[in-house]
Order: sequence, then C-alpha cells, then structure tokens
Amino acid sequence: MEMLALLRGLYAIWLRELTRATRDRAQLIGGVSRPLIWLLILGVGLNPYFRGEVYGEVRFVIPYTYLQFLFPAVIVLNIMYTSIQFAVSVIWDREFGFLREVLVSPMPRPLILLGKVLGGSTVAMIHGGLVLILARFADVTLSPLQIVQALGLMFVLAFGLTSFGVILAARVRSFEGFGVFSNTIILPLYFTSSSVFPLDPSLTRAQIVTAYPEWLVFMVQINPITYAVDALRGILITFNQFPSAMGSAVIFGMAVVFFVVALLDFRRA
Amino acid sequence: MNAQPDAAIVVSNVTVSYGAKRALDDVSLTVPAGASFALLGPNGAGKTTLISVLCTLRRPDRGSAAVAGADVVRMPTQARRSIGVVFQDSSLDDRLSAWENLEFHGLVYGMPKKRRRTMIEAALALVELEEWTHDIVRSFSGGMRRRLEIARALLHEPRILFLDEPTVGLDAQTRQRIWQYLETLRRERGLTVLTTTHYIEEVEDADSVCIIDQGRIIAQDTPAALKERFGQRWLTVLPQDQEAADAILASVPQVRRLGAQRLALPAEDEAATDAFLSTFRDRLSEVRFQPPTLESVFLSLTGRELRDRADGQRDAEKAAGRRGGQR
Repeated sequence: MEMLALLRGLYAIWLRELTRATRDRAQLIGGVSRPLIWLLILGVGLNPYFRGEVYGEVRFVIPYTYLQFLFPAVIVLNIMYTSIQFAVSVIWDREFGFLREVLVSPMPRPLILLGKVLGGSTVAMIHGGLVLILARFADVTLSPLQIVQALGLMFVLAFGLTSFGVILAARVRSFEGFGVFSNTIILPLYFTSSSVFPLDPSLTRAQIVTAYPEWLVFMVQINPITYAVDALRGILITFNQFPSAMGSAVIFGMAVVFFVVALLDFRRA
Repeated sequence: MNAQPDAAIVVSNVTVSYGAKRALDDVSLTVPAGASFALLGPNGAGKTTLISVLCTLRRPDRGSAAVAGADVVRMPTQARRSIGVVFQDSSLDDRLSAWENLEFHGLVYGMPKKRRRTMIEAALALVELEEWTHDIVRSFSGGMRRRLEIARALLHEPRILFLDEPTVGLDAQTRQRIWQYLETLRRERGLTVLTTTHYIEEVEDADSVCIIDQGRIIAQDTPAALKERFGQRWLTVLPQDQEAADAILASVPQVRRLGAQRLALPAEDEAATDAFLSTFRDRLSEVRFQPPTLESVFLSLTGRELRDRADGQRDAEKAAGRRGGQR
C-alpha cells in the first residue's frame, strides 16, 4: 500500500511536467522549428558539397548524403535544448514557491527529483521523436525496431541531460543568467560533437588530406555528445565512427553520474 | 520532550540563525489540539521562520519541535503527513487548473482515486470555487488563489493547519470569508490552526495569542487576558508642526514617537491627560483615544506600533528595488 502511495506521487510529478510542457507554446514551437531549420536550410544547403560534387566534378564519394548524416545529430540537438532548458522549470519551482508544496509532502526527496527528471526526459524524448517524422524527407528509411531502439536511447540520453540541467539550475540564481546557456553550453557542445562534419578521416581517402587541426579533434573526442550522436547514427543510418558499444556506454554513464550529482545537490539544498 | 498528550504543537527552546542574524531566539510554546493559535508580530519578527521549522523545511540550530507527536527532525515524514500548510506567497502551479493542482496534491499524499475525487469536490465546494474547477489558476484573482490554497492544504485531512499570513493583500470581504471557513473546520473536525499575521483585528477571536518580536516571545495568553494585563488606554496625537512635537517630547517624558509624526501618551491617569491636553491643545491637529486593544498591548510591550515596522520594511524594499537590487 505504501509502495502504491509513492508510485502515485511519482506519477503526479511526472504528469505535471508533461502537462506543463503541452501548455508551453514557446517550447513546443522551438521543438518543431529547430529541426526544420537545421534540416531544410543547413542540410539541404550543404547536401551537394558533402558528396564531394564541387562544380559538377565528383572529388570523393561518401556512402551517405549530408541530410542523412545530419539527421541523427539534429535529434540530439533537439534533446539537448529541451533537456538543458529544463533547468528553467527547476528554477521556476524554486523561485515561485511550488517546490515547497512538494517539500512539505510525505514524498521522499529522491523520489521528488526522480519524478521531475523522468518528466523532463519524457518531454525531451518526445521533442527528439518529433524529428523522426522528417525521416522520409532526409532519405532515412526506418524499421519499427529501429524506431523503438532509437527512442530508448533518446530517453536515456534525455535523462542524463535533464539531470545536467538540474545541476545547472542549482548553480544559477536567476532566469536572466540562463539565456547565456544556449550559447555557452549547448551550441559549443553540439558543434564539437562531430554533428555537422565527420571526424574520422578514414571515412574517405580524400578527406585524410583535409585533416582537421589537433585541438578540434581533441575537443570532439572528449565531448560526450560525440558518442551520443554516434550511437544514434549507428541505429538510424547504420554508420559509426567509433566502436558501437562506446556510444551506449557513454549515454548510460552520463545518465547515472549526472543523476547522482543532481541528487546530492538536491539533498543539500 | 514531555508534552501533554493532547498538545498538537510543542516547541522547546528553538533557536534559528541566518548567518549572524538570529531569527528565533530560544522560543518555546505549546498549542493544545483543536485550538486556534495566533502568532502576532511585525514583519521580520521570526514568524515565517517558526512555520518553516514546524513544517520541516528548516532544521532548528538548537532545541526541538514536534507536530502531532512527531519530532520534525527525527520523524519528518510522519510530521509532514499530519500537517497542511498555506505559505505566505502562493505555491500553486499557475499553469495548471484548480482541479489539476488539487489532483497533484492528492496523488503526492498517496490518496487513492475514489477518495481524491470526493475530497477534491468537497474542498472546492468548501471554498466556493466549483465554478472554476477546470480554469487555469493563472486567471484567478488573489483571493481565489488563497482559497484554492486553503482547500489544497486541507485535502489530505491534516490534523494541524499552518497559515502564514493567509490574508495579506486580500480585500476585507475575502478575509472574513477565509476566517469563516477556518472557524467552521475547527469546530467540525477539531483541526488545530496556527496562524501568523500582523493584522491585529484578525486575532481578536483566537483562543491564544503569542506576541513575537525580534525572534523572541514577549507575551502569550488569551486576547482578553493580554488586554487585561498589558493593555492600557493611549492618547495618540498629531502635533501641528515639528516645533510642537519637539516641545511635547521635551516636556513630557512618557511620550513615545509613533511613526514619523504621531506621538502616543499613556492615558490611564486622567489628571495627567487633562493637564497634557490643556497645555498643548492649540498645538495639536488631531487627538484620539485608543481603548485597550491588542495593538495597544503590542505598543506597551515593545514601544512601537505593529504597522510601523511593516511599513519601514516595505520602504526599504522599495528603495532596494530602485537601486536595481544592488546593495
């Protein structure tokens, strides 16, 4: 009976995040327009160059189009935005007093945080899932199994990044300070995750010649998002730049580590 | 901890500090079950801090506190189950509807579906919000929000209800209505109600009033007994100009300043009052006798008016706002 009561509480906190997300037009518009911009403009615009067809002359051939290559990365970008912006919801609860309503309830502290993070990750996963609707447009054919696998991985990734958002929220005092995040955290992480350009020079012989500077390769390799993007590419377009198990390991690792840190933060507060 | 068996709230020697500032200084009090208990004091007296300790949000630095027999530090979950809290500032989710806010509360308190349903309907009926059941809280007025919060705090049938300044910023009619609900509940369910307020007129009906100032309890009794013991008639006057005020302050030592302009003089001794009035009659623009009220009890005990400090603080906040929040 006691267990059932706790599950009810967990469900309530999860459901509240979902309800709030459906009522937040701005967030929804962002979730839909972002992938459209990235795929329709950047994807379509760079598509011919990626194939190596410069001025009609084929320089080198890659087994994927740029749109296909970019497609999984845009899913990750959408998840990153929604997850990390989740910190706003945490700050909101703290500043506008709703947090106290939960803190004086008999719900144990760790479950409160778990419910909140599960809610945020579900919303982020849905935002990532929205991109899948564009699969046909990006020339990606998906089997039901691929979709299930991708959604599973997206959820775990969202769980880790949402916990990261909670960690950020504990360190940011105001909403104003938060606007900076998208420019100082999300975009740099995204661009150095081998999302918009392939890293592995062995992909084609021709690209070995156009080697990247050392520092950029280093940035890409230490960026955990690199491995998340890679894991999703493995599922969606069966293309990996790194050992396939590595991506999943990094995604699960992030989920565990960030949630534990968020929990410690939350207990202290 | 040797509380009486029927005590709803027992606070023993609780001290809480925020940095160097002592918010509560060795506070002890007992509230019997089913009582209506009022904590009266100016802003910053430590009322909210005491509520935070009692609803397990703030650990006391020293001392102990128990609600419904459960120690707030050692058995917080049990303590939380028996209390309902209405905070000073709204803690509703204003993107959810009234129903959704209550449903959330019911779920978090582990109530099964059937009971949630009946209790939510009853709670909304109690505060007369049935018509707005599915409206989003953002569109609610201040009074409606407060009523919804009270409904929510009562949803899981707590034995003790904490209300931190429940009627601040509400119009007189809504205030009266809220006090009526609470009175009904207290009689019908034997609910213990602890209220903090700085509206004197609201605590006149309480069973017991505890006057708190600068983190210390300075008096605690029934309103009648407090008035009997500390209340005295006061004569408050408004001098015509600063010169007159200075003259009065210089010649009558018992006179106290009230706010920026008014002066107050104990008016128990008729001869002295008459002498004062005949001397300064022409230099006063306003004269008023105050019968013994809790307001005058507070004045006698602290030498200040309750509202003084409250207004002073508001001015300080406004000034801080103008400086752009910078110190």
